[in-house]
Amino acid sequence: MADAADRILDCTGMACPLPIVKTAKEIKTMEIGEVLELLATDPGVEPDMNAWSRRTKNELLKIEQDGDVYHVFIRRTR
Amino acid sequence: MWTDDGEGKILYVQTHGVDDPGRSATPFFLAASAAAMDCEVGIYFTMFGPQLLQTAIVDKIGPKGDVGQPLSYFINQATELGVRLYVCQPSLDLNDLTVDELIDDVEMIGGAAFNDMAIEADTVISF
Repeated sequence: MADAADRILDCTGMACPLPIVKTAKEIKTMEIGEVLELLATDPGVEPDMNAWSRRTKNELLKIEQDGDVYHVFIRRTR
Repeated sequence: MWTDDGEGKILYVQTHGVDDPGRSATPFFLAASAAAMDCEVGIYFTMFGPQLLQTAIVDKIGPKGDVGQPLSYFINQATELGVRLYVCQPSLDLNDLTVDELIDDVEMIGGAAFNDMAIEADTVISF
């Protein structure tokens, strides 16, 4: 990955809603401006993280897919 | 009751009880997801719904029966994110339950409070 995340949250193998729930909890422990990389295999993670970021007003930087694993980069904005 | 601190307000209604475990956990999943999105979330348990909140039951049933996590896991996942759980007295009477038999997080409301929350909510989703 080109951009190094400040923290990685591994939710591979976990089903909805755990990736969202764990992301929400994790990002609240980070500093504003830091980037979280979520690893997830739940096939709904892309629409879910788009919706989550829009609602929570955190910044979804990009989503990359590597085989079955989605890498979701989110910057805490508030 | 709503505090208007969140990004939106969703009220779920659970009417199913222990006889239909496959319908027990989904409201908690969705409520946890909504709370993770900074929404304010309540779940109102009516008809057979209050059966799911019994202290003696929450570790004994789960959405897939004996397989996988018990219902208490999904309840805690939701309440840890701030989801609030509501029951009303007539629904307890219907199931021959008292509030003392329920888990600690449950709040008692009545029909007027429920309707008021429903009017104020952005959406109400019933199961």
